[in-house]
Amino acid sequence: MSTLPVYRPRTPVRTLLRRAAVACGAVALIAGCSTSAPGGRSATAGGSGSTRSTATPGQVLNAGGTPVKGGTLKLSMSADPLCLDPHAISADTEQILGHLQFDNLTYLGKDGVPTPWLASAWKISPDGRTYRFTLRQGVTFADGTPFDAHAVVVNFAHMLDPATRSPLAGPYIAPYKDSTVIDDHTVEVHLKTAYSPFLYVLAQGWLGMESPRAITQDTPAQLCAHPVGSGPFELKSYTPNVGAKYVRRPGYDWGPPALGQSGPAELDGVDVSWIGQDPVRYNSLVSGQYQMTGYVPPQNGPALAANSEFVYENVNRIGWPFTFDFNTSRAPLSDVDVRKALVEGVDSKALVTTSQFGQRPPAGSYLDSVTEFYDPSAALPGYDPKAAAALLDKAGWGTRNASGVRTKDGRTLSLTLPVSNATTVSPVYELLQAQLKKLGVQLRIELEPQTQVTTQRYAGDYDLLSGVWHTNTPDVLYIKYASSQIPNSQHLGQNLARLSDPALDTVLEQARQTTDTTKLASLYAQAQKRLVTDVPGLPVYQNTVLWAFSKKLHDVVVDTSHGTPLLTYAWLSR
Amino acid sequence: MRAARLARRLGWRALAGVGVMWGAATASFFTLHGTAGDAALSTVSGQGADPTRAVLDQVRRDYGLDHPLWRQYTDYLGRLLHGNLGESYQQRVPVTHAIAGQLGGTVELAAGAVVVALVLAVGVGVLTAKRRRRWIGAASSGGELVLASMPTFVIGLLLLLVFSIGLGWFPVSGQEGLRSLVLPTFTLALPVAAILAQVLRSELEDVLEQPFVLTARARGMRDAGVRFRHALRHALIPLVTMSGAVVGWLLGGAVVTESLFNRQGIGQLMLTATTNKDIPLVVGVIIFTSLVYVVVNLVVDVAYTLVDPRVVTL
Repeated sequence: MSTLPVYRPRTPVRTLLRRAAVACGAVALIAGCSTSAPGGRSATAGGSGSTRSTATPGQVLNAGGTPVKGGTLKLSMSADPLCLDPHAISADTEQILGHLQFDNLTYLGKDGVPTPWLASAWKISPDGRTYRFTLRQGVTFADGTPFDAHAVVVNFAHMLDPATRSPLAGPYIAPYKDSTVIDDHTVEVHLKTAYSPFLYVLAQGWLGMESPRAITQDTPAQLCAHPVGSGPFELKSYTPNVGAKYVRRPGYDWGPPALGQSGPAELDGVDVSWIGQDPVRYNSLVSGQYQMTGYVPPQNGPALAANSEFVYENVNRIGWPFTFDFNTSRAPLSDVDVRKALVEGVDSKALVTTSQFGQRPPAGSYLDSVTEFYDPSAALPGYDPKAAAALLDKAGWGTRNASGVRTKDGRTLSLTLPVSNATTVSPVYELLQAQLKKLGVQLRIELEPQTQVTTQRYAGDYDLLSGVWHTNTPDVLYIKYASSQIPNSQHLGQNLARLSDPALDTVLEQARQTTDTTKLASLYAQAQKRLVTDVPGLPVYQNTVLWAFSKKLHDVVVDTSHGTPLLTYAWLSR
Repeated sequence: MRAARLARRLGWRALAGVGVMWGAATASFFTLHGTAGDAALSTVSGQGADPTRAVLDQVRRDYGLDHPLWRQYTDYLGRLLHGNLGESYQQRVPVTHAIAGQLGGTVELAAGAVVVALVLAVGVGVLTAKRRRRWIGAASSGGELVLASMPTFVIGLLLLLVFSIGLGWFPVSGQEGLRSLVLPTFTLALPVAAILAQVLRSELEDVLEQPFVLTARARGMRDAGVRFRHALRHALIPLVTMSGAVVGWLLGGAVVTESLFNRQGIGQLMLTATTNKDIPLVVGVIIFTSLVYVVVNLVVDVAYTLVDPRVVTL
């Protein structure tokens, strides 16, 4: 007899066999997850093109049928942000949860252009520095506070107050100066400089409107634990690291007009659980314990795509693809020829197929392809190892040392890549290392605590860094590549390539000054072409979000800003 | 006379315990501050964050991170003497509140695991020691070895996949009702039970050789009676010795178990605090766990004197 209570002698043989099968499956699963080495299996999984979704922004998924009122949706997410105040965090959970609990001033239309929401109309001054918003009437927050001009002012002040420690909402409205309340439902916002992305960022989950009463009366900790919004659902309870429960607000009638629907939500509520382990999150969805997950592990994408009981989405996002930033401010990557050689010498398609299980499309430029004003003609050269080797020879790295690494004046062509060891380390780093080795370039992956990576990131102590940046406007190019965004003692920016190109700066600055779409298209096309010659990084794959839900759930909308599920009018069939 | 000696002994032990806690606080404070990296930066700038310098400066001021390290340390010790563990960087609540809020979950889990582990260990140990059929002991010992050497994470994941996802008997996560406590409790209890059963069996096998066992059998006592009424009592003493280690295993196991099953608790708190470099919270949890150790060891000391009076004179 064993201490494990699994195998009881009286259990019928058939049951025993079934249990054994389950256990074997379990073991296989664990084994499958722990091997991080990319095998041939994952490559074949990528071969089936059908796993890539074609969901477009604003699309209504699993639509049709008469909505049924009631029912609670069980939703699994991956990690708790440990704070639910959207202004105080940068966690991507807000893309889904923020839109349950909060409403925004604007909402992006299907074409990516801002449309009314809590702001029913606006007028922009010719200099682009004054926005006069007319606000929707009859809107209330869950605590009874009315939504009005005063509420808007308090919200902007809260996002920018250093005490809020806003990592994202505040920086997105950095040009904000002050506001004038014209009357209860009209507010005039003044910006320090023209900032055409303003109406776009207002639609993002992190910039939802919170109750001004809660903002002024509560401490930051209280706001984190129980923020108050005006959205279709209100927060009923929140247990850190376990879950959050949202319940419908009966009187809600102010969803984005672009959704073409009004009235309160159909669902009674949404129960969110945080499930950190990939295999558990996948299996608990498939076994029916959850009806939706906001985070499908890429390795399970093909299986879900093939499962007829589920809708699996893999939605392209606006922003900057997963890219290796090249530190252009120090040798050897200050030499544009070396940067070009790295781009041409790495088979980035192979990197994507093996590291992302075929679930993410490769990236050929510095913008995700769904971004407004994306220019497909501004593409980086493809994989060409011979051209890459020639470029390195030309740049003076023609000699090699005993271990095959290129050298120049006694220096080896060795690059550092700090990587955080706090999360599961993606195989993409080792794959890149192996490819660069063939080129005669040594890549040193430095596995370090997140804090140390962050410190090095802002100090400029690296040759390569990796990351994605999701926002909902092509202004992401300003965030990533304007020289004003290079981290320095005054500012912590995201220009981690430390690229300083005055011509690019001018174009990106001009794009912030105008709302004329013809001019914007031309300016952003120029910027993308300029970046292809600057080569500030190696784009690898487009940043897509992977999520899935049971076909019992209907009318799920693809959020136009984030590509995540919008559940305002979703309903569950019995 | 004996009471005085016991009191003196406990007094010294308590004093040493305070020393241990001071050492733990100091070591963790300097280790965390010493590892390269800016704590203020890490609290506001993970992936996907674009904080301004003003925000960073505010965080530095809020937590005194703009002072030299020696001053931060003396300030910290000063606050500690007043029972103030500081405020968590991330959660923005006093560390004492954060710990108190999470304590219930871990106590519930650990208490359940101790009970399950003891029942399993005693049951298996007593029933398998010195059997005429040798294979019983060997099989049980083999099973225990497997469980004891398997990482908690793997045990938990196996239990989850079989009993929750495969058979649907228990929820995969959460903290609602007794059903959600079953799998985490077994995850935490099984390795502990395996080790305790091993110790207990080897002890029992010694005891069952003793002449008084033969006497009992000669009196016509049944085997089960001999094992449970006579042998078990003697064999339990080494388990008392191990209780300190058991508390250690439980706390270590709680980190994995709580994060695997998404439960609230000290382990989960420790994990997130460490990941986020939430220094006040990490140091707070370390001081708290060393306090638990000190108290447990004191209790074990007293328990010894009750079981075996000779201990005091040592």
